[in-house]
Amino acid sequence: MRSAFLQLAAVGLLCSTASICNAQATAARGERLYADNCSTCHGEELQNNSTVAFDLRRLKADEHERFVTSVTNGKNTMPSWDGVLSDQDKEDLWAYIRANANDR
Amino acid sequence: MKKQISLMVGLAFAPQAHAQTAQDILKASPESVLTYGMNYSQNRFSQLDKINTTNVRKLVPAWSYSLNNNTGEEAQPIIYDGTAYITSQNKTVALDALTGREIWNTPVEYPPATTRVVCCGIVNRGAAIYEGKLFRTTLDARVIALDIKTGKEVWSVKSGDANDGIAMTGAPIIANGVLITGMAGAEYGSRGYIEAYDPQTGKQLWRFYTVPRPGDKGAESWPDNASNASGGSTWTTGTYDPDMDVVFWGIGNPAPWNPLLRPGDNLYTNAIVALKPKTGEVVWHYQMSPTDPFDHDNITSIITADLTVEGKPTKALIQVARNGFVYILDRTNGKLLSANPYVKVTWAKGVDLETGRPIWTDATKKAMTLTDEIETWPSNSGGTNWFPYSYDPRKQIAYVNTLDFGMKYQPAPIEEIRNLKPGQGHRGVKITKLYNDNARGHLRAIDPFTGKAKWEIPFKSPNWAGTLVTAGGLVFTGTLTGEMIAVDAEQGKIIWSFQTPSGIIGQPVTWEKDGKQYVTVTSGTGGVYVMNTPDPNLKHTPAGGTVFTFKLMED
Ligand code: HEC
Repeated sequence: MRSAFLQLAAVGLLCSTASICNAQATAARGERLYADNCSTCHGEELQNNSTVAFDLRRLKADEHERFVTSVTNGKNTMPSWDGVLSDQDKEDLWAYIRANANDR
Repeated sequence: MKKQISLMVGLAFAPQAHAQTAQDILKASPESVLTYGMNYSQNRFSQLDKINTTNVRKLVPAWSYSLNNNTGEEAQPIIYDGTAYITSQNKTVALDALTGREIWNTPVEYPPATTRVVCCGIVNRGAAIYEGKLFRTTLDARVIALDIKTGKEVWSVKSGDANDGIAMTGAPIIANGVLITGMAGAEYGSRGYIEAYDPQTGKQLWRFYTVPRPGDKGAESWPDNASNASGGSTWTTGTYDPDMDVVFWGIGNPAPWNPLLRPGDNLYTNAIVALKPKTGEVVWHYQMSPTDPFDHDNITSIITADLTVEGKPTKALIQVARNGFVYILDRTNGKLLSANPYVKVTWAKGVDLETGRPIWTDATKKAMTLTDEIETWPSNSGGTNWFPYSYDPRKQIAYVNTLDFGMKYQPAPIEEIRNLKPGQGHRGVKITKLYNDNARGHLRAIDPFTGKAKWEIPFKSPNWAGTLVTAGGLVFTGTLTGEMIAVDAEQGKIIWSFQTPSGIIGQPVTWEKDGKQYVTVTSGTGGVYVMNTPDPNLKHTPAGGTVFTFKLMED
């Protein structure tokens, strides 16, 4: 009885509204997209030695546009993903990066 | 019109004045560095001894040069006729080898989508030179020839495409007048190949696919999927035996890493293939890691050596393989002579000398058929990686930067890898590395007959640089925190060190001019480990490429 209550409470806490539930699903998908496409250069689980590639955890909440532009077009040796990643893919990646950002 | 004609005449005659021939490469005079590996046996051993254990403390920089690039410098310098030729991912430069002054600088440009299929460092590993031209590959999989005097492009051939998962990072070689290159991209489902060009014209002479199609030899080793098998990239540089007229090339891992949909030995992945340079005909092959689930990419350097094996003089080759064993093969026929672990190895109990096959452990068999998590050593990075080791033929010792970590490994369910297309990531496994932060790597003096180390030096971050050994009793290499070091080859002690501005992932070489010995290396952190792997020890090592040349301080 008690554990069932706790479980319910936990679900309620994590997922209090439909939009937060959604954000979790999309961040989880973003994590897989990141591992497949970005981690070789940006570091395992976003952990980056800050040498060659930008540390994505530094992206701020208001830098969504910069993120989409850079990922779509590339920047110097950062590849362009135009026609490879969908808009939804980019949003899921953004959700994952934001969930692990320095200034959460 | 007139101008055009005179230009053509100029091009036609210029190379003769500045031509290094096949004979020059064969001679391998210590004054120059004319080929990858410093000589055709690729042992990176130099006869020079003016810089030695007694005076190396006086080694100081003669000059440094900025490569104006921050993505990592892995190239082996070429030194010819007083000029140093250095490749980077975005340029090729010729420098006065004594002063570091730039002679020419030819940029490399590529489309913005190129690096999508560059798994393992935005880098280039060096050039070949021959009869007045310099040859290199580019990240967008072109092979190009530059006039060695002017840096002007003579020809450029598009070899592969990013949409097929193909990039190029390796140094080509010249073998019997033929230019030979490999390619990268098993991590993106490309189908591997080795190919040959006419150095004069860029005309393709042959292409050998490392992964067969139904009907080809080896197709039976992919019983379920020969029609679309992939992997087997060829991203480092093969070794040429001029007496046998054969090239030995290390072949990379099968794709995807997840093995569940590709039962069979998966030839010629993780093998060494011996080829005729004029025709591409396969003379023999030997496969180190059949059915490999672990990315034990068999591309580490191959060294030819004449050894006495069980009392018999033997034309051998030595490979300190990524899978953790050091192999000695008879290079005339590919027969296995010995295979012993040189780091912690748990994926195989050993190698059967009769059949030449690894003796898989239960955990490895599990990884080939189920989606359970296992622990295995060495990790997917290998017991060593692309960075070349050196070998002293007098002492018969190999100087190897080793990687001393294992991994937890779990294949993803089949559904996740069933419909992968070339150009997409081809891993399909979950990996967690197992590190000892006090020594993720070592520099080891390894006896290739036993795998045992005569001495070893631990490093917090593993060294990701080539080694060089000299008759002066010194082993040179670099660290990821940027120290260029000289080690006493007998004692295994660091006896000289110089802090360069960035991490070293390059390949030191040594050469002589007017009776003085020099050591040249690139500094510039990057490469797959630095980009991909969180390492607390690397917090204070900034990026930025430079070339350094050292000499003994003069009074
Ligand atoms: C081949 C290596 C490579 C891969 C793969 C890669 N990146 Fe990058 N990325 C870089 C480098 C290098 C930079 C720094 C570019 C610069 O400023 O010169 C960078 C920068 C960025 C930036 C910051 C750009 C800015 O506005 O300053 C973002 C955002 C980014 N990457 C996102 C991604 C995402 C998302 C992926 C996967 C879909 C990815 N990258 C894959 C190498 C890579």
